[in-house]
Amino acid sequence: MLQYLIILLDDTSISFCHYKNPKTEQRLIPLETLKLGIRLGMMENLMIQYVYPDYELPQEYQEVIESIDHSKIKPQKEDADVWVTDKMESVSSDIPVVLRINKEILFAHEQEISEVIRKVSRLNIVLTDVESFTEEDFARYKSLLGKLSDSLEKIYVDGKTPQLNLLTDRMMLKEMNNCGAGDTNITLAPNGKFYVCPAFYYEDEADSIGDLEHGLDIKNKQLYRLDHAPICRHCDAWQCKRCIWLNRKTTLEVNTPSHEQCVLAHLERNASRDLLNNIRKYGTFLPEQEEIKEIDYLDPFDKRDEWQ
Amino acid sequence: MMKIIKDWQSGMAKNITFIVTKDCQLACKYCYLVGKNEKERMSFDVAKQAIDYILDHESEYREESVVWDFIGGEPFLEIELIDKICDYLKAEMFRRNHHWFNSYRFSFSTNGINYHEEKVQRFIKKNVSHLSIGITIDGTEKKHDLNRVYKHTEKGSYQSVVKNIPLWLEQFPNAGTKVTISSADIPYIKESVLHLYSLGIHEVNINCVFEDVWKEGDDQLFEEQLMSLADAIIDGGYYKDYACSFYSEHLGKPLDKVLQNQNWCGAGRMLSIDAAGNFYPCTRFAQYSLRSKKACIIGNIHDGINNNLLRPFLTLDRRTQSPQECIDCEVAEGCAWCQGENYDAADTDTIYQRATAICKMHKARVHANNYYWNKLYRKLELEGEREEFEKNKKEAKDIIC
Amino acid sequence: MKKLVGQVTPEERNEIQTLFERRNGLNELAKILTADNAELYDKLVKDLGETSTKFQNWWDRMAEKYQWESFEGGNWEINFDTCEIFLVTQ
Repeated sequence: MLQYLIILLDDTSISFCHYKNPKTEQRLIPLETLKLGIRLGMMENLMIQYVYPDYELPQEYQEVIESIDHSKIKPQKEDADVWVTDKMESVSSDIPVVLRINKEILFAHEQEISEVIRKVSRLNIVLTDVESFTEEDFARYKSLLGKLSDSLEKIYVDGKTPQLNLLTDRMMLKEMNNCGAGDTNITLAPNGKFYVCPAFYYEDEADSIGDLEHGLDIKNKQLYRLDHAPICRHCDAWQCKRCIWLNRKTTLEVNTPSHEQCVLAHLERNASRDLLNNIRKYGTFLPEQEEIKEIDYLDPFDKRDEWQ
Repeated sequence: MMKIIKDWQSGMAKNITFIVTKDCQLACKYCYLVGKNEKERMSFDVAKQAIDYILDHESEYREESVVWDFIGGEPFLEIELIDKICDYLKAEMFRRNHHWFNSYRFSFSTNGINYHEEKVQRFIKKNVSHLSIGITIDGTEKKHDLNRVYKHTEKGSYQSVVKNIPLWLEQFPNAGTKVTISSADIPYIKESVLHLYSLGIHEVNINCVFEDVWKEGDDQLFEEQLMSLADAIIDGGYYKDYACSFYSEHLGKPLDKVLQNQNWCGAGRMLSIDAAGNFYPCTRFAQYSLRSKKACIIGNIHDGINNNLLRPFLTLDRRTQSPQECIDCEVAEGCAWCQGENYDAADTDTIYQRATAICKMHKARVHANNYYWNKLYRKLELEGEREEFEKNKKEAKDIIC
Repeated sequence: MKKLVGQVTPEERNEIQTLFERRNGLNELAKILTADNAELYDKLVKDLGETSTKFQNWWDRMAEKYQWESFEGGNWEINFDTCEIFLVTQ
């Protein structure tokens, strides 16, 4: 069921996820389109998330934006509900921070990331080059997660509880918590058309799933749901975003993740398991949460013969 | 009951297809190969690179057996190339001590027109113990010539094919033929199957096309034809020595949602290679087989196979791709689909939307199939032959591609 | 004339079937390999000899084990589907 409407306020709106925004020419969403989008959101009872460009919007836009309850995803900290950045320096925040970086930066800056975690309430690390991970990168990622886990353990034992998507989400989840693109959320682009998510818009403007004039038209919409994802519905790496765009990019199917996505998610899951067990050695911690079981695989695809 | 020859190695062999040519003497009206042409033919060098890649990766191909399949267009138009490829395959499998050397076949589906030619016959004699050759003869001359016509003249090809049937059956006595049914063929089904039996063909593998070609009333006509054919087969005693794949004991029951959830076809588990050295999960995903979608290439001879592109195929199951009506269907067993047609007909670029144009035809077949087995079992019981029949019966094979 | 005289186990059937297939493969390979390709040719000749020996050994072992009926001038055949052994006489 649809719950969220993401509105790209400009063609150059910041990317807050795996995809890169290739557009450099500003194209503000027409005011009328924005109003219609908000109206639709109100009628369908959708929570609106605005994605901002890196410049100040005209006053009349700001007024329209404020006319409804919403979240702001911005490339600046000021007035944001989610702050998106690709720089670690001077990151400190009470609001969630999305840090978009590639694997080389991630591997080279474990220390800095540990420092950032201490200064935020929540950090979402989003890797921009998941599909390029090699076996060697998996080993490095595992090692990095181990180190971040050690840092977090100390922080939690000290009594603070910042969240890091890669490690603490799985500890706290009771079920799958995915992006939901195409299922629980859709995106309205500046051209007045709907898309599964911003990445689909930036990849091909013709790949829309309807528009404001004619309404939503999602073909094969069941394929965006978890119950129609043969690998994912057997999986318990609940923190995985199950990125639909990455799925389609790597396997050509929106319901099937690549090997790389699955391995990364399971390395995170396993590291979460270790963190949870380690924190629990100090005393009661998340008592309502079940144990994360030990598993002997990193890709549920390898266990497909055991599915029913 | 006639012993129906099981699929070699119970259908568990790895199937690897070389699309050696897109040329064909014919332009069959129901042919799903919409992009046939005279220009694209595979070079030996491309075939060699593909073979080297596959044999180099023995650990990734753990099936005990392999079927090296040659397809076109008409494969026997490239018999010299095929001969060279097969010689290379035999020598390489042996030289490398590959496990497939102990268990392989060369397979062909041919229009039969040049079956008698010296080069083709020489090839057959050279490889006879490893060959599986099917000639497509569609039934009576009238039915065959409805669709299987020469490319330039549009003249029917029946006479060119039927003259080679005796030689083919002499060389491959257990061979079966593949018959395709489209809308216009329905009135000729019964007489065609009986005609093929009269030619000495004991196994007729016959199926309806998956494309959306059916007209109002086709299912009724189809059912009548199959009922009438059932009477002829049983009353005429053909059931003892002849087989027709329309009638199966594993057809027409509901399917268990958990235990019977596997995908129907082997797309993704087979491998198809074109003249450019591209790899496909099945020939049906090559561009010349598709009318409305882009080809689904999973790799090539230079870069190998991208396993991520195989994941959707290898995790396909029945329920995920089927509409609720199919999942709940009380006669679902035996209702077939073709993954390539699913993809081609889908509303989006997905293999996860099952094409259901064949629904009414399947239901009609179920009625006729029920009639057939009820009648046959009763006859066998009355004649005291039921036990003997149960002892000798084999699984029928449903060929869909 | 063909007479059913016995049956082997599926494992025994698999053994002879593999040898049968291999022997066929070697015989067909012999039609295209010549002494020009000395290394491969020698390998083929050696393998043919070994495979033929193993093939004959299987029949000898099974005959010894099962004590099948035999006939002067006759030979045994196996049906790979059913594992049945038939005595074939002229």
